[in-house]
Amino acid sequence: MNAAEILRVTGEHVVIVLISVVAAIVIGIPLGIWCTRNGAASHVVLRAVDVVQTVPSLALFGLLIPIPLIGGIGARTAIVALVLYSLLPIVRNTFTGIRGVDPAVREAGVALGLTPRQLLFDVELPLAMPTIMSGVRIAVVAGIGIATIAAAIGGGGLGTFIFRGVAMVDTNLILAGAIPAALLAFFADLVLTYVERRLIR
Amino acid sequence: MKKLIAVALLFAACSREPVHIGSKNFTESVILGELLAQKLERAGCTVDRKLDMGGTFVCDKAIRSGAIDAYVEYSGTAAEAILKKPHADVAAAYAKDHLHWGPPLGFNNTFAMIIRRDPSLAKISDLRRVQETFQPGFGYEFVERRDGWNGLLRAYDLQFAKAPKTMDLGLTYKALASGQVDLIAGNSTDGLIQSLGLVVLDDDRHYFPRYDAAVVRANGIDVKCRGASAILDSLQNTIDDAAMRKMNFEVDGKKRSVGEVVREWIDAHR
Repeated sequence: MNAAEILRVTGEHVVIVLISVVAAIVIGIPLGIWCTRNGAASHVVLRAVDVVQTVPSLALFGLLIPIPLIGGIGARTAIVALVLYSLLPIVRNTFTGIRGVDPAVREAGVALGLTPRQLLFDVELPLAMPTIMSGVRIAVVAGIGIATIAAAIGGGGLGTFIFRGVAMVDTNLILAGAIPAALLAFFADLVLTYVERRLIR
Repeated sequence: MKKLIAVALLFAACSREPVHIGSKNFTESVILGELLAQKLERAGCTVDRKLDMGGTFVCDKAIRSGAIDAYVEYSGTAAEAILKKPHADVAAAYAKDHLHWGPPLGFNNTFAMIIRRDPSLAKISDLRRVQETFQPGFGYEFVERRDGWNGLLRAYDLQFAKAPKTMDLGLTYKALASGQVDLIAGNSTDGLIQSLGLVVLDDDRHYFPRYDAAVVRANGIDVKCRGASAILDSLQNTIDDAAMRKMNFEVDGKKRSVGEVVREWIDAHR
């Protein structure tokens, strides 16, 4: 283990988290919006993203391995699992953010003759953006921690050091995985908190 | 009344410090840990189970630090991985560290190189024919251990084109059965070999040493429960390869509970 190897593995880790969170945003925000428009859907979707959190990652991997396209051994399966785990804060915060928009503001928009589409993009989403961003921040920070499990399915990342270290009871190896992960989470939190503040204006 | 029970429980807990029994994180080790625990409980000991703890090195550290009082280890693993001397006198080495290496339980659970059924492959040396294409997949311990993958490549003069995919040990069988990897390292007594229709390659160059299971225990175990060491010694030669494979299959293949399978075995071997 040397600096170059730590850097390479940290790079893998960042890529896994980035892909997962971007995918979770692309899936999660529309799901959250849909939940605000459809009561029945909100019951099902919000429960489902809650339940996913309770499934242990190894059990999830076991289920995913034989599935073509999204399963197998490697980073892809880990990313699929991570997307599922990241959905909760994003869907939930999108839902809460839009629901929290003052009804008077919404009515004013309707009175001005905004179409539902304009209402969503010009009124609701901008007002909900700080809440949504804070969901994204939670997903990123938690994702950096959770992504260490990618190593359990040959997906690489900082978990590789942690898993090797645990198998060999080598504290230095464990720390070589844990410390960069903690630093990543810390800096991601700083940057995203800054972005969040800018959005509140 | 509730208070009274609580106080009584507290007293019971204080008067007898439990015997801590550990195990590694795979089915057979958990079964054997449960077996030690139930044997001791039937003799009146208070037992605290610390099963499914982790790999070899975790268990070794635990028993040396006093976190557990006994667990089942394998002679080959003790010599190669723990003591790092292939031909060490295991019992003498443990004795120096105030630990006792008990008599063999009766079965030899050696490493098994496992593939999906393939009529052209019977021995490990046959792997030479597929070393360009086969994708190996192992747990972290097998990749890191000196008596693991790298030693095997040297012993058999093999050069695999693909680096092994490393994953959680428990996922390797599923990965092999679903075609994600082509070669895994398991244990010869694993119940899943049979239930998934997999094949163990013959170790034709005798690379893997014997892995005779035996109980490692702290010398002070009798202080916690009188007669505990005698009970553990009485397990000598009571479980042969077939019996162990059967218990593993009951748990892994038939999905029965470890406690129940062990209870059945003890009742049948009184």
